[in-house]
Amino acid sequence: MEDKDKLKILKDLLLDEEKEFTGSIAEKVEELSKIVYKKEELSHKVDPIIDDKLDEFIEEIPKTLGPTITQTLKEEIKNSQDAVVEALFPIIGKMIKKYIAHEMRLLSENISRKTKSAFSFKNWFRRTKARAQGVTDGELAISDYAKPRLIQIFVIEKNSGILISDYSPLSDGTIDKEMIAGMLTAIKSFVEDAFRGGDQNLELIEYELHTIHIQNFYSYYVAAVISGAYTMMFKEVLEDQIIDFAKNHISNKELQNSTLFTKKLKKYFTDEIV
Amino acid sequence: MKLSKKVVLLGPFGVGKTSLFRRFVDNEFSEEYKVTLGVQIKKKVVQLPDGRELSMIIWDTEGHSDNVEDTRKSYLLGSHAFIYVFDLTRKETYASLNHDIDYLTKTYPKVVAKVIGNKLDLVNEKEITSQLKEHNIEFDCLTSAKTNKNVQDFFSDLATEITKT
Repeated sequence: MEDKDKLKILKDLLLDEEKEFTGSIAEKVEELSKIVYKKEELSHKVDPIIDDKLDEFIEEIPKTLGPTITQTLKEEIKNSQDAVVEALFPIIGKMIKKYIAHEMRLLSENISRKTKSAFSFKNWFRRTKARAQGVTDGELAISDYAKPRLIQIFVIEKNSGILISDYSPLSDGTIDKEMIAGMLTAIKSFVEDAFRGGDQNLELIEYELHTIHIQNFYSYYVAAVISGAYTMMFKEVLEDQIIDFAKNHISNKELQNSTLFTKKLKKYFTDEIV
Repeated sequence: MKLSKKVVLLGPFGVGKTSLFRRFVDNEFSEEYKVTLGVQIKKKVVQLPDGRELSMIIWDTEGHSDNVEDTRKSYLLGSHAFIYVFDLTRKETYASLNHDIDYLTKTYPKVVAKVIGNKLDLVNEKEITSQLKEHNIEFDCLTSAKTNKNVQDFFSDLATEITKT
């Protein structure tokens, strides 16, 4: 027997247990690799663990991350208020619109109920008028409320923006009219310049519940501030009245004398327009 | 009878048009620089030597970058006076001054045009006057919106002048 064979026999005798152990490990590794490579089997084994961990994580979020997230959001909102308003405005606007429409319907129904129950010549007349127009009493009452009204009228020199005359049927107001005339002219000039519309003129400015009707003449323009519903019908009547005023009541004499102009303006626009 | 005149402040960026405007109208001054976008308008009622009152409607326009022709023309129409402002501490703000004044007086011959060198508090008056002379720059007044030097007098004189035309 050679030394080589002797060593082999000795190795077999000494390492028999280790061999068995290695074999079992190899089997286990093979088994595990089967599980790992077979997606379904792996999922079967791992999913319950992940689910448990996720449940635990979800339960823990409010306690661990909650305060941090809240603080971050608070800071972000505080630092970008304009962006938040910008993002929320269309949504809130729609909500308000819906709410107002709903409330207006309720108000209309309420008025209808009340006017039906009350008996008076005025109510009889209102009902007749409403019936003739094919609307409910409530709608008629609301339309009366939303009726367009002239708040203030300005006559402004076209290029310089200098106020020639102004009149307000309601009150004198506290805002500086000469500055309003200047700013209106600047806005008008900017729009007309910026959009390069040739001889086109700015004719309307809308803000919240008011409308500024602008009517242009050769050397001056008229800006009428209107509250309520600025309807096409109202626009036409107002246009006709301003044209009539300019054509039949204003001459160079008035344009040179603002006191005289204001007297005529006041006299002409004291009565309701429509 | 009510008397109103339109006065337009013109000139390059950052020369102190708005500071002059605020100093004259509200008697205020701020070191903080805010760029004027478009135009801002204020009114100041000035007592004339003959006892009448004049409403000066002052248009403070945004500064131009190259020359005065960049200014929106519709802002200049119907003016009674132009005040062209330059910065005494920055040569580049009076580099195109002569060209700009030439353009203004030719395009709007009926309008009074005045030239102001502002920020007088930052320079030596004698030195800057001789420097401007060297550069062939003619001006009507040197002012400091910060210290209010010559501001009120300049506008009062202008008010008197434009009511004569």
